[in-house]
Amino acid sequence: MTHYAEDDLILYYYGEGRKRVEIERHLDECGACAATYRDIAGTLAIVTEPELPERSDQYGLEVWQRIRHKLPEQELPWWMLWFRGERLMLVGAAAVLVLAAFVAGRYLPRQGTATVATIPAGPATTAPSVVTDGATAQRQRILLTSVADHLDRSERMLTDIMNTSDHRDISTEQRWAEDLLTTSRLYRQDAADIGEQSVASVLDDLERSLLEIVHSRPQISAADLEQIRRRIDAAALLFKVRVLSDELRQRENAPAPSATPRTSTRKIG
Amino acid sequence: MTDATEASAVLARARQGDGEAFRALVERHSRSVFRLAYRMTGNEQDAEDVVQESFLRAYRQLGRFESRANFGTWLYRIVANCSVDLMRAKQARHDQARGESLDTANEMPAAQTPGPERLAESAEIERRVRQALGALSPLERAAFTLRHYEGRSIDEIGKTLGLGTSAAKHSVFRAVKKLRIALQPLRSE
Repeated sequence: MTHYAEDDLILYYYGEGRKRVEIERHLDECGACAATYRDIAGTLAIVTEPELPERSDQYGLEVWQRIRHKLPEQELPWWMLWFRGERLMLVGAAAVLVLAAFVAGRYLPRQGTATVATIPAGPATTAPSVVTDGATAQRQRILLTSVADHLDRSERMLTDIMNTSDHRDISTEQRWAEDLLTTSRLYRQDAADIGEQSVASVLDDLERSLLEIVHSRPQISAADLEQIRRRIDAAALLFKVRVLSDELRQRENAPAPSATPRTSTRKIG
Repeated sequence: MTDATEASAVLARARQGDGEAFRALVERHSRSVFRLAYRMTGNEQDAEDVVQESFLRAYRQLGRFESRANFGTWLYRIVANCSVDLMRAKQARHDQARGESLDTANEMPAAQTPGPERLAESAEIERRVRQALGALSPLERAAFTLRHYEGRSIDEIGKTLGLGTSAAKHSVFRAVKKLRIALQPLRSE
């Protein structure tokens, strides 16, 4: 005869568990399990409701008097955080960078065209390709430098989350993650626009983890924190962020592309 | 105006930082908050501390409270978690002072068996139960209180304490096992 575990009998006592009918039948037949169940029920019957100290009708007022001068500042709802000064500045800075990349893209083709004029005449179809390549390379350099900085900041925040002690307030990391999320989206779109798919892909992974952090409770439980950490580990996110950041720094330090016509742009990793 | 409409109007004002509206919420919920805090901590002074901290935490986080949710349920979670935090802090101080953990059943001191005449006194039983509950870890005690006194299901306990169902279930199991060991002398008399 198979006996039921103590855990099953505890759930049965509290009217929970999926095996209630089977356990009930089993307890009628099995002396050992019936004895264990009697012991559990007997113990729990002793644990009666403690006598609650009386609190008068004025108790609510007393509590209010105690806390009224200690009321802290209210945390803003998430949508209002977007309108805070430092956030607007960050979004503005990101917008300026994107605009700079765009202007560079618009401006540089003229240089490219001038260079092309000195090249011996070739097939007419090569000229647009040269123009696009020069502009893209310059946009890439500006964008990738910004993305490398962004990845460094993200790495610091993720490292904080990985190393923070359990059961603590992560509201600082959440604000940080929200800031990063805003810029990350802009960079990802821009990276995708100029064909940097591998950069866009890492930023996409990063955004998922940032979103999870932003939407967690500030007083995060150990279990939730562990779940976030497991996902970061599973996606090898810190590793990807570090590798991509290093690679972008290397590209940043590489010599500027010459005006020599190229037919393709370099892809990341 | 119906009670529900009035309650939601008070809540909306409190969320905008209206102190008087928050006062109404404090007055309305203080006694139920105290009841839960006392069951969780088993100590009047600790319960008072939890009441105070819970309302301060609730006020700070009111802006993040979803207006569609039930304020009572939301506050209940805050109180449960404040109680766990307070018990953890207390236990850490206690452990530090004693230099040893009370977290395992094996380490629990066996209660001295008093004479039968004393066992007959309910005050003595209550004292022993209180002692056994005091030897549980904060999470075990919280999960057990919610299951045993508050009649919450394992799923609800998980949601309240921010645990997975399995972790909530095992906290209750461990609590009951420890209580069985600690209260065995009472049962064998």
